[in-house]
Order: sequence, then structure tokens, then C-alpha cells
Amino acid sequence: MTLLASRPELVPGTLDMLVLRILQWGPQHGYAIGKSIRAQSADVLQVEAGSLYPALQRLAKKRWVTAKWGQTDANQRAKFYTLTAEGKKQLGREESRWAELVTAIARVMKPETE
Amino acid sequence: MSIFTWLKRRLSLDEPDFEEEIRSHLAMAEREHQEAGQPEARHAARKDFGNVTLTTAAAREVWRPRWLESLHDWADDVRYAVRALAKKPGFTLTVTGVLTLGIGLNSAVFTMLKSMALNPLAGVPTAARLHVLHGETQTGREVSVSYPDYRQLRDQNQAFLSLMGTAPFRASLGRGRDAHRVFGEMVTGNYFEVLGVGAQRGRTLLPSDEGAPGANPVVVISDSLWRRDYGADPNITGRILLVNNIPLTIVGVASASFHGTVVSYDIEVYLPVTMAGQVGFADKTDASQVLTDERAELLYPHGYLRPGVTAASAGAQAQALFAQLTRGRPRDEGAQMLKLVPLWKSPNGAQTFLLPTLAVLAAMGLLVLLISCANIAGLVLVRGMSRRGEIAVRLALGAGRARVMRLLVLENLAVSIPGALLGVVLAARGVPILSGYAEWLAAPDRLFFNIEVDLFIIGFAALLAACSALVFGLVPAWQTSHINLVTVINEDSSTRGAARGSLRKGLVIAQVAISVALLVSSGLVSRSLDAARRADPGFVQDHLGAVALDLKANAYDTARGLVFYRELLRAARTGSGVESATLSVHVPLRLIETPSQAVKVEGYVPRRDEELAMLWNTIAPGYFHTLQTKVLAGREFEDRDDAEAEPRMLVNQTFAQRFWGGADQALGKRVHTGKEWRTIIGVVADLKYSRIDEAARPYFYLPLWQAYRPSVVLQLRGAQPMKTLLEQARASVARLDPDLPIVYARPMAEMTGGATLFLDLTAAMLSLFGTAGMMLAALGTYGLVSYSVTASARETGIRMALGASGAMVLRGFLGNGLRLGLTGAALGILGAFGAIQLLGHLLYGVSSTDAASFAKALVIVIGGVALATLVPAWRATRTSPQHALRHQ
Repeated sequence: MTLLASRPELVPGTLDMLVLRILQWGPQHGYAIGKSIRAQSADVLQVEAGSLYPALQRLAKKRWVTAKWGQTDANQRAKFYTLTAEGKKQLGREESRWAELVTAIARVMKPETE
Repeated sequence: MSIFTWLKRRLSLDEPDFEEEIRSHLAMAEREHQEAGQPEARHAARKDFGNVTLTTAAAREVWRPRWLESLHDWADDVRYAVRALAKKPGFTLTVTGVLTLGIGLNSAVFTMLKSMALNPLAGVPTAARLHVLHGETQTGREVSVSYPDYRQLRDQNQAFLSLMGTAPFRASLGRGRDAHRVFGEMVTGNYFEVLGVGAQRGRTLLPSDEGAPGANPVVVISDSLWRRDYGADPNITGRILLVNNIPLTIVGVASASFHGTVVSYDIEVYLPVTMAGQVGFADKTDASQVLTDERAELLYPHGYLRPGVTAASAGAQAQALFAQLTRGRPRDEGAQMLKLVPLWKSPNGAQTFLLPTLAVLAAMGLLVLLISCANIAGLVLVRGMSRRGEIAVRLALGAGRARVMRLLVLENLAVSIPGALLGVVLAARGVPILSGYAEWLAAPDRLFFNIEVDLFIIGFAALLAACSALVFGLVPAWQTSHINLVTVINEDSSTRGAARGSLRKGLVIAQVAISVALLVSSGLVSRSLDAARRADPGFVQDHLGAVALDLKANAYDTARGLVFYRELLRAARTGSGVESATLSVHVPLRLIETPSQAVKVEGYVPRRDEELAMLWNTIAPGYFHTLQTKVLAGREFEDRDDAEAEPRMLVNQTFAQRFWGGADQALGKRVHTGKEWRTIIGVVADLKYSRIDEAARPYFYLPLWQAYRPSVVLQLRGAQPMKTLLEQARASVARLDPDLPIVYARPMAEMTGGATLFLDLTAAMLSLFGTAGMMLAALGTYGLVSYSVTASARETGIRMALGASGAMVLRGFLGNGLRLGLTGAALGILGAFGAIQLLGHLLYGVSSTDAASFAKALVIVIGGVALATLVPAWRATRTSPQHALRHQ
């Protein structure tokens, strides 16, 4: 069952990395993570809740993040996710793999510039 | 289920938590929309979020482990299989029943085989590794070893860890009329130590109990004797037990599970072998010399081999030692060599009788199982074909072939597992019934079989069930799952598939063949049994009673014993209703081999290596008159054939025929019977001496008045009810000597029943197998034939619509059925010839090509096939053509 109804903009398999990246700045709740991705991508990447929440569960299951209920600044109860040490390592791995991928794709797409 | 609940909690999505997280998301989104001044903020938030249910499902999916997922599939399949089977109770019950019978019978037989071969002695877990030494005479008779020889073997051999010796004997416990007879063992001091058997009360016998002859009057008793005769008295040690009128001190009760080392005998007393002289353990030798005579047949040495020593080298070593020991002894009827055998081949016990019989039964049992499997294969095949539509739809809807196969195999397992369990229950109930039957036949002697349904057999049955389900379910399942979707869905499911047709035919042929082989075998054995029951034993058993006495038990000497015998005969003969009475040492037809005696025949020079050893009996006057056996020449013994007269003897017809060519020619000839030359004064007709199925053999008789023997059987013939006759005889004995133990008092006909014991048992089992196999084959054939009849309903309909009569259609089906039946029967007859080779030793009085047995088996099987064809075929002709055609 693939419910990852990804928009063409979001490269499949990158959502986990994006979420980890956002959490690097500190604990955050799901709604804010979604907004952050959108904001930081200048509204290009729209992460749907239907993908985001299962992804968070997946990261929690792999123990890359931990979750804890808390209060937002607006005094709303929300579940905050925190990056674990294992999650940081995973982020590092995914970042370097992503960098390799981007470079490789770039080489293919624009070979003459190299 | 609790484990699932636990797993769920640990390994699944925390749903309330997740819902709350979504609510919090929606609340934040709603507030943001509100702040942006959007109308219907709540609705907009929901819309942005998307499908909550699908999100939850996706989150749930994250947590579900792969194996749990497949477990769910399996559970679904199992549930589906059980439901599908519940819808077809006929099929389900038939398969379960077939397997129950097949597996039950096999478990029963293998339980017995296993306990006989692998675990022969209760309470001795490693008994299967015990080895036994026995002597062998020139003619191959297996004999025990003397006590002096045993001691040499024990002390000098290097192959055994240690060597104990044992000699089974019949002991009478108590005194006079209260005495009763049990089995005992005379054992060496290390007996319990070698076996590793302990005592539950007091102590076992110890090497220190094997002292000077007669110096250790002690006895260890069995658990059952302790409970039966002493009410499990906790202070049993120190009490006195009279064994053959010798007072022995009970020093202990053997461990409860231990029943001695003689397979099938329930041993109740264990005495030091050094008491053999006192309790009168002597058959051929003087009681005082039983321990010192190096030629006395007394003990069977048993022991475990040292690690690393092979049976072959141990046997060679023992034989070399024995050759040294026996150098210089005469080459006569005594042991000439020493053989080493595993316990299951030991001549000391019933295993050499029982194992071949059980092997035959096991072979028959496997045939029944084979039929069961063919049966199930047939049923599954038929069922698979009638479900081709359903399976095709499943495949068309995208189910993998593996998944469909799995479903079919699961269905097979769902019927075979209950079948296996019921089979084990059947075996568990059946085995005690069977051994109980054997014990009942042997009563009042106490038998014991170390038989229990154990994990090994349950595992065996489960394995059989799983294998039969997998192997015989997989083939049809594989065929079914490889059907061509298009043809099945577009067309009907009736008349195609030559390959499947031939598999079906093959199954019918196989079942018919196996059941013919089974029926022929069981027919031959039951005809053997009939022949044995009708066989003339050479004497008249009815109205003949036997009362066994043991004068050793009361320390009679020869002179007093002879006086007692004469008085006893006089008293017995004057009893009311007694026609005649006599005494003899041996009673015919007791299944046991009596000892033989080396003889010399005057004027006959034996060939080199020819052993002239004959069976013999010592008898009082009137023996043949009482047994109603013909005297062919001369006369039988009379009172005047006593110590005053010259040594005399009688021989049987075979003896006279062999050496002199006839009864009359034998009169006056002389034979040397060990001590002196005796003159033949009469020739009598042959008897069956130990077994009803024995071959004729030479036999001779000595007069009791000339050759005193301390233990005899009083035999009386009278028209009175047997009970009165025996009671009267007991009373006469008690009047003469109230302290003399009466070993037994039984009707002769009851005692000789033992001679057909194993034939009886085998016949009972085989006819059970034969009937079961026949029923299964009939059932299987019926199923397969009726399926093919039903499957060609359309063809039948067309033929009948075109004017074929019911009789013609019927004839067509019958022809097909009979063709298969006859092919199977022909193969079965070939198989039966093979089975008969196995049965050889059980056959008696019938030729192995006995036409009647074959004819009966053929009639039953062909009749069964015809019936199995006709009934469904008749039903097919009754359906109207329109109906048959429309039905398709």
C-alpha cells in the first residue's frame, strides 16, 4: 500500500531526510515540521499530512526520533519530536548520500560544465 | 491469544495517541486559518489534512511487522480451510476416519515393535544395548551356560564392562494349598548393579549375596508382588517368603518400573543364583551339583560392551574363551560354541517368537497405511477437480499459485492432524487391549509387555500424518493449481485431463492390488489358525485335568517320592467319576521346548557331526490310556516296570520308523539314554509335543518307577465337571501332604491354548488389517469411480438422449470398473506371493498357494469394485438426460 501520494516535486524517499533535517534545529511538532519544509523550500515542497504522520511513526519506530507531548507558544497541546543521537547519525548518512546523488545527476544533466 | 495481545501492545501503533496528535494538528491548522480570516476555518483545516482514515492506516502499516502480516494470512487460510472442510462433512469425516485407522493401526504395531526391539525391558532405559551370551549345540539349539563357565567368562573377558548372569524359573510361593506360582529369576550378585536398577525398599541383591552355595537365603521381590501379597507393607524387609518351601528373607523391593530381564514374563522374585541347589533348580543335573557341574545349562550371561568394543570382536573373544574352557569336553548334545547376540535376539524370552510376527504385522500395517494414503490422494484429487472453477477464479483474481497451493495443503493438514491425533488415541486404547488379550490367553501365568504409547510413537504418527497430507495432497494440489484458466472458466469442468484420469486409474489399481495382498495374507493366516485348531494333537484334551506338583519344595527323596506317587495315583483313581489318572514330567503343547537327551541306538552308527539328541518324557503307568493315545505295538508302562525290572522304555512312531522302519520291528531293540541301555517294550503314536505346528520328531519315554523325577503333573480324565475333578484332585494331594505346594490345577484344554497364542494374536491383528484395508479400498474405489461417473454425466445424458438404454450405460461403466479391478487384482496376487514369503513361519496346514484363500480374496475385492461401480452408475442412469445436460 503506497499512500505516499507524493507531489512530483518531492523526490521519493527524501521525506525522512527532510524531517530529520528540520528536527536538527530543535524539537518540533508535526504541524510545524510540515510548515517548515514548505517555508524553507519557498513553497515548492508541500508535505501532506497523510505522508508526514506515517513518516514520523516510521522514524519513531527506528528510534531516530523520540516524541513527547508538550505546549506550543500559543498554548496548544502538541506532540513534539526530538532528534536522537542515532537520528543525527542517520541524517549525516542521508545528507552525504543525497549530495552524491545530486552531484551525479548534475554531471549527467550538464556534463559540459565540468 | 494472550501472546498476540501482548505483541499487539508492543508492536503496533498507539491509536488513541495518534488520533490526539491529528486533533492537535487540526486545531493548530484551524486556528491559523481563523487568524488569516478565512471562513469555515475548521472545514479548510480538514481539507488540507486529507484523508484521516488513510493516514491512520498508513501509520498502522508502519508498525506492522512483516511476519505478523504473513501470520495473518496463514490464519486466514487456516480459517478458510476449516470452513471449507466443515461444508463438506462427508469428505472430512472420511479422510479423518481413514487416517485414524491407518495411523492408529500403525502406531499400535510400531509401539509393540519399538518396545520389543528398542526398549525391551521396563525400568532399564539402555536395555537395547545389552548383549547376551548363549551356547549353541551342534544342531543349532540355543542353550544357557553353566555357572562355572559363567564365572570364567565374567572374570577373564575384556569385552564387557561387567557380566551378570540370570536364569528364569517358575517359583511357587507359600505352602500347601495356598501356594501360588510366579516367574522368578536366579541371578548373580552383580545383576542389579549391571542393569542399574535400584530398590524402592531395603536393598537389591549385591555381589556379597553370591557366596557359598546355600549361604545367602535372601530374596528381592517385585513391586507388584509387594502390593498384591503384602499390601505394600512399609516394613517388608526382614519378612520371610517361602520359595519352593525354602524360607528366604526379603531384603528389598525392586524399583516399581522393573519387571525383570525376560521379555514377556512378569518376574516377581529375584534370588541369588547360589540358592539354586536349595530351591531345586535342576532339570538335568543333580540339585547338589547345579552350581559345580560345568555342563549344567543354567545362566544366560548379560552385559554392556566396553566403549569402543564392537559386538563382533566381543563375540569372537567370548567364543575364544569358551573354546579354551570346553577343550577336552565330549562332543555331544551340550553347547559346542558360544554366541553373542543383542538382547532383542536373545533366546531368553519371547522376543525371538514375537519379533518376526510383529515384523509381519508392521509390513501389513504399512500396506494399510499405503491404502489410506492412496485413498486420501484419491479423495483430494476428486475434490480438487470439483473445485477447479473456484481455484481458477482465485488465480484469475490474482492469487499466487504458491498461495493457492498453500491453501490446498492447509486443507489437507486440517483433516490429517485430527486423523493423526485420533489415530494415537486409537493406538493408546488398542495396545493395552491387545496386550491384555495376550495376558488373558496366558493366564494364570503373569505376562508383562513393556508397551506404552510414548512421544516417539506420537511423533511417528504425526510425521506419517504430515507426510501423507503433504505428499499425497501436494500432487493433486499441484495439478489443480496448474490448470489453464481460460479453458476452465470458459468451459465446464467435466471430461478433460487424460493425465488426471490415469492418476485416478492408478490409484484404483493400487488400492485394489494392496487389498488383495492383504486379504490373501490374512486369509492364509486365519486358515492356518483353523487348521491348527482342528489339528490332531495326538491326544484327547477334553475332560482332561492337570495338577502340577513339585516334590522338591518339600524335600522328598527318591524313595519317599515314589511312595507318594503310588499313593497319589491310587487316591486319584478311586475319586468319584475319575476314569483314569497318570503322572508325567512334561505336559504336551505347552509351547516351551523341553530339554533333550543324547542317546545311542544299538546297531546305528551316527554320521560325523550327527547329534542324536531326542526329546523325552518320564511317565507313570496308564499315561497313554489317560491321554487316549494309541499304542501301536507292544504295551505301555505298567506297575511292574519298576526298579526290580530290567531298564525299559517306549518310543514314538517316528523314532521307530527312523531306526527300524516300523513299530513292530522296534520292539526288543535297545537304546542308551544317558545312564544305561534300555529295551523298547512298546511303540506309541506321535503327539504334538510343544507346538501344534511342529514337525514330527522322534521321542522316547522312561518309566517314572525306574527314573524318579521330583516334579510331575497329575493328569486325570473324568466325565465330571472340570472344576469338581480338579478340586477333588487338590483334596487328594492335601490329604497325603498338606504342606505340598500345588503349582497349578487347570483343565488341559485351557493350558494348550497357549500353543496357538501367537497364531491367535497374529490372526486377530491380520484379519483386522485385512478388513480395514478392504474397507478402505472399497471406500476409495467407490469415491473415485463415482466421481468419474458423475463427471461424465453429460456424456451419459447425451448417450441416453440418443437412445442408449440404462443397461448399456451400466455395462459400459461396469466394464471400465472391472478392467481396473482385474488389473489391480493381478498385481495384488503377485504382491501376495511376496507377502507369503514373510508369513512363511506362521503358516500351518495350508499351502502358501492355497486356492481357497486366493479365490476368497478375489471374490471380495472384485465384488467390492463392482458394487462401487454399479451404485453410482445406476444413479447416473436414473437422472434424466435433460437434467444432466442442463446441469452442465
